[in-house]
Amino acid sequence: MENNNPLSPHLQIYKWQISSLLSITHRIVGVINFLAIILICVWSILIVFFQNNYSTINVFLNSSFGKFFIISLCWTFSFHILNELRHLVWDAGYGFDLKVAKITGIIVFVGSFILTILFYILGRNLF
Amino acid sequence: MHTSTKKWLFTKISSLILIPLMAWFLVNFVSIYDKNHSQILIFFSEQPSKILFSIFVIIAFFFSALTISEIFEDYLHDVKIKNVANKALNLFAIIIPLLTILSIYNLN
Repeated sequence: MENNNPLSPHLQIYKWQISSLLSITHRIVGVINFLAIILICVWSILIVFFQNNYSTINVFLNSSFGKFFIISLCWTFSFHILNELRHLVWDAGYGFDLKVAKITGIIVFVGSFILTILFYILGRNLF
Repeated sequence: MHTSTKKWLFTKISSLILIPLMAWFLVNFVSIYDKNHSQILIFFSEQPSKILFSIFVIIAFFFSALTISEIFEDYLHDVKIKNVANKALNLFAIIIPLLTILSIYNLN
Protein backbone atom coordinates (compact mmCIF):
# COMPACT_ATOMS: atom_id res chain seq x y z
CA MET A 1 0.00 0.00 0.00
CA GLU A 2 1.32 3.44 -0.89
CA ASN A 3 2.11 5.63 2.10
CA ASN A 4 0.73 9.11 1.53
CA ASN A 5 1.72 10.50 4.93
CA PRO A 6 3.38 13.91 4.54
CA LEU A 7 7.06 13.89 5.45
CA SER A 8 8.60 16.56 7.65
CA PRO A 9 10.26 19.33 5.62
CA HIS A 10 14.01 19.16 5.22
CA LEU A 11 15.84 21.06 7.92
CA GLN A 12 17.62 23.47 5.58
CA ILE A 13 14.36 25.21 4.57
CA TYR A 14 13.61 26.32 8.17
CA LYS A 15 14.29 29.89 9.19
CA TRP A 16 16.05 29.29 12.49
CA GLN A 17 14.30 30.64 15.57
CA ILE A 18 14.07 29.58 19.22
CA SER A 19 11.06 27.26 18.66
CA SER A 20 12.63 25.36 15.73
CA LEU A 21 16.00 25.27 17.48
CA LEU A 22 14.45 23.71 20.60
CA SER A 23 12.32 21.31 18.56
CA ILE A 24 15.25 19.82 16.63
CA THR A 25 17.48 19.86 19.73
CA HIS A 26 14.74 18.00 21.63
CA ARG A 27 14.76 15.24 19.02
CA ILE A 28 18.56 14.99 18.87
CA VAL A 29 18.84 15.03 22.67
CA GLY A 30 16.12 12.36 22.87
CA VAL A 31 18.13 10.04 20.63
CA ILE A 32 21.34 10.81 22.60
CA ASN A 33 19.53 10.02 25.87
CA PHE A 34 18.24 6.76 24.41
CA LEU A 35 21.82 5.76 23.50
CA ALA A 36 23.05 6.94 26.92
CA ILE A 37 20.45 4.81 28.73
CA ILE A 38 21.55 1.80 26.65
CA LEU A 39 25.16 2.50 27.77
CA ILE A 40 24.02 2.84 31.40
CA CYS A 41 22.23 -0.54 31.14
CA VAL A 42 25.37 -2.13 29.64
CA TRP A 43 27.41 -0.48 32.43
CA SER A 44 25.15 -1.96 35.11
CA ILE A 45 25.23 -5.44 33.50
CA LEU A 46 29.06 -5.29 33.26
CA ILE A 47 29.30 -4.25 36.91
CA VAL A 48 27.14 -7.18 38.02
CA PHE A 49 28.60 -9.95 35.84
CA PHE A 50 32.07 -8.87 34.81
CA GLN A 51 33.82 -7.63 37.91
CA ASN A 52 37.24 -7.98 36.21
CA ASN A 53 36.35 -5.34 33.63
CA TYR A 54 35.25 -2.84 36.24
CA SER A 55 38.67 -1.18 36.58
CA THR A 56 38.70 -0.37 32.83
CA ILE A 57 35.27 1.30 33.07
CA ASN A 58 36.35 3.11 36.25
CA VAL A 59 39.50 4.48 34.57
CA PHE A 60 37.38 5.78 31.67
CA LEU A 61 34.76 7.41 33.93
CA ASN A 62 37.47 9.06 36.03
CA SER A 63 39.29 10.45 33.01
CA SER A 64 38.67 13.97 31.68
CA PHE A 65 36.65 12.48 28.83
CA GLY A 66 34.62 10.44 31.32
CA LYS A 67 33.83 13.55 33.37
CA PHE A 68 32.89 15.41 30.16
CA PHE A 69 30.59 12.47 29.34
CA ILE A 70 28.91 12.66 32.77
CA ILE A 71 28.43 16.45 32.61
CA SER A 72 27.11 16.21 29.04
CA LEU A 73 24.67 13.56 30.23
CA CYS A 74 23.53 15.95 32.99
CA TRP A 75 22.82 18.58 30.31
CA THR A 76 20.98 16.27 27.89
CA PHE A 77 18.81 14.91 30.73
CA SER A 78 18.21 18.44 32.09
CA PHE A 79 17.25 19.78 28.68
CA HIS A 80 14.92 16.86 28.06
CA ILE A 81 13.25 17.22 31.48
CA LEU A 82 12.60 20.96 31.03
CA ASN A 83 11.44 20.73 27.41
CA GLU A 84 9.19 17.75 28.24
CA LEU A 85 7.61 19.90 30.99
CA ARG A 86 7.10 22.66 28.40
CA HIS A 87 5.39 20.16 26.09
CA LEU A 88 3.17 18.93 28.95
CA VAL A 89 2.12 22.54 29.69
CA TRP A 90 1.25 22.94 25.98
CA ASP A 91 -0.75 19.70 26.14
CA ALA A 92 -2.72 21.19 29.04
CA GLY A 93 -3.61 24.07 26.70
CA TYR A 94 -1.30 26.79 28.03
CA GLY A 95 1.66 28.73 26.64
CA PHE A 96 0.73 28.85 22.95
CA ASP A 97 1.00 32.62 22.67
CA LEU A 98 4.05 33.36 20.48
CA LYS A 99 5.63 35.68 23.04
CA VAL A 100 5.06 33.18 25.87
CA ALA A 101 6.38 30.30 23.73
CA LYS A 102 9.54 32.31 23.01
CA ILE A 103 10.04 33.15 26.71
CA THR A 104 9.48 29.52 27.85
CA GLY A 105 11.90 28.42 25.11
CA ILE A 106 14.60 30.71 26.46
CA ILE A 107 13.82 29.52 30.02
CA VAL A 108 14.25 25.89 28.88
CA PHE A 109 17.56 26.63 27.17
CA VAL A 110 19.09 28.70 29.98
CA GLY A 111 17.43 26.55 32.68
CA SER A 112 18.98 23.37 31.26
CA PHE A 113 22.46 24.72 32.07
CA ILE A 114 21.39 25.80 35.57
CA LEU A 115 19.77 22.39 36.19
CA THR A 116 22.95 20.66 34.94
CA ILE A 117 24.99 22.51 37.58
CA LEU A 118 22.36 21.74 40.24
CA PHE A 119 22.27 18.01 39.42
CA TYR A 120 26.06 17.84 39.46
CA ILE A 121 26.36 19.72 42.75
CA LEU A 122 23.61 17.60 44.35
CA GLY A 123 25.16 14.36 43.07
CA ARG A 124 28.67 15.24 44.21
CA ASN A 125 27.33 16.47 47.56
CA LEU A 126 29.00 19.84 47.07
CA PHE A 127 26.47 21.85 49.07
CA MET B 1 -10.03 4.94 21.19
CA HIS B 2 -7.98 5.59 18.05
CA THR B 3 -4.49 3.99 17.99
CA SER B 4 -2.79 7.38 17.55
CA THR B 5 -4.70 8.80 20.54
CA LYS B 6 -3.60 5.81 22.63
CA LYS B 7 0.00 6.31 21.51
CA TRP B 8 -0.16 10.01 22.39
CA LEU B 9 -1.65 9.23 25.83
CA PHE B 10 0.99 6.57 26.55
CA THR B 11 3.73 9.01 25.51
CA LYS B 12 2.41 11.75 27.80
CA ILE B 13 1.81 9.45 30.79
CA SER B 14 5.26 7.86 30.44
CA SER B 15 6.94 11.27 30.12
CA LEU B 16 5.18 12.44 33.29
CA ILE B 17 6.46 9.38 35.18
CA LEU B 18 9.91 9.64 33.60
CA ILE B 19 10.64 13.26 34.62
CA PRO B 20 11.11 12.64 38.39
CA LEU B 21 12.81 9.29 37.71
CA MET B 22 15.35 10.96 35.39
CA ALA B 23 16.13 13.56 38.05
CA TRP B 24 16.45 10.87 40.75
CA PHE B 25 18.68 8.66 38.59
CA LEU B 26 20.91 11.50 37.42
CA VAL B 27 21.68 12.72 40.94
CA ASN B 28 22.44 9.15 42.06
CA PHE B 29 24.48 8.34 38.95
CA VAL B 30 26.62 11.44 39.46
CA SER B 31 27.16 10.39 43.08
CA ILE B 32 28.19 6.75 42.33
CA TYR B 33 29.87 6.65 38.91
CA ASP B 34 33.41 6.91 40.30
CA LYS B 35 32.87 4.79 43.42
CA ASN B 36 34.45 1.39 43.89
CA HIS B 37 32.81 -1.83 42.68
CA SER B 38 31.25 -2.86 45.99
CA GLN B 39 29.69 0.58 46.60
CA ILE B 40 28.04 0.51 43.17
CA LEU B 41 26.80 -3.04 43.80
CA ILE B 42 25.21 -1.82 47.05
CA PHE B 43 23.35 0.88 45.09
CA PHE B 44 21.92 -1.69 42.66
CA SER B 45 21.15 -4.32 45.28
CA GLU B 46 19.43 -2.21 47.94
CA GLN B 47 15.93 -0.79 48.00
CA PRO B 48 14.52 1.65 46.98
CA SER B 49 17.24 2.19 44.34
CA LYS B 50 16.77 -1.34 42.93
CA ILE B 51 13.04 -0.91 42.23
CA LEU B 52 13.34 2.75 41.18
CA PHE B 53 16.15 1.95 38.72
CA SER B 54 14.07 -0.94 37.29
CA ILE B 55 11.03 1.32 36.79
CA PHE B 56 13.28 4.04 35.31
CA VAL B 57 14.73 1.61 32.74
CA ILE B 58 11.32 0.19 31.76
CA ILE B 59 9.65 3.60 31.37
CA ALA B 60 12.70 5.12 29.63
CA PHE B 61 12.74 2.40 26.97
CA PHE B 62 8.95 2.45 26.60
CA PHE B 63 8.99 6.24 26.12
CA SER B 64 12.00 6.08 23.78
CA ALA B 65 10.40 3.40 21.60
CA LEU B 66 7.26 5.54 21.23
CA THR B 67 9.08 8.79 20.48
CA ILE B 68 11.83 7.40 18.24
CA SER B 69 9.16 5.64 16.15
CA GLU B 70 7.78 9.18 15.56
CA ILE B 71 11.20 10.22 14.22
CA PHE B 72 11.19 7.18 11.91
CA GLU B 73 7.68 8.16 10.77
CA ASP B 74 8.87 11.68 9.89
CA TYR B 75 12.22 10.97 8.28
CA LEU B 76 12.24 7.42 6.87
CA HIS B 77 10.77 7.41 3.39
CA ASP B 78 10.91 3.69 2.62
CA VAL B 79 8.03 1.77 4.25
CA LYS B 80 9.99 -1.51 4.45
CA ILE B 81 13.00 0.15 6.10
CA LYS B 82 10.67 1.98 8.49
CA ASN B 83 8.94 -1.27 9.50
CA VAL B 84 12.26 -3.04 10.06
CA ALA B 85 13.57 -0.07 12.06
CA ASN B 86 10.42 -0.02 14.22
CA LYS B 87 10.61 -3.78 14.84
CA ALA B 88 14.30 -3.54 15.76
CA LEU B 89 13.55 -0.61 18.07
CA ASN B 90 10.74 -2.48 19.84
CA LEU B 91 12.87 -5.61 20.20
CA PHE B 92 15.70 -3.53 21.63
CA ALA B 93 13.29 -1.76 24.02
CA ILE B 94 12.25 -5.14 25.43
CA ILE B 95 15.57 -7.02 25.52
CA ILE B 96 17.85 -4.36 27.04
CA PRO B 97 15.65 -3.49 30.06
CA LEU B 98 14.84 -7.18 30.59
CA LEU B 99 18.55 -8.12 30.70
CA THR B 100 19.34 -5.16 32.96
CA ILE B 101 16.57 -5.94 35.44
CA LEU B 102 17.39 -9.67 35.46
CA SER B 103 21.02 -8.86 36.17
CA ILE B 104 20.32 -6.52 39.09
CA TYR B 105 17.72 -8.89 40.55
CA ASN B 106 20.38 -11.60 40.35
CA LEU B 107 22.24 -9.71 43.07
CA ASN B 108 21.58 -10.68 46.66
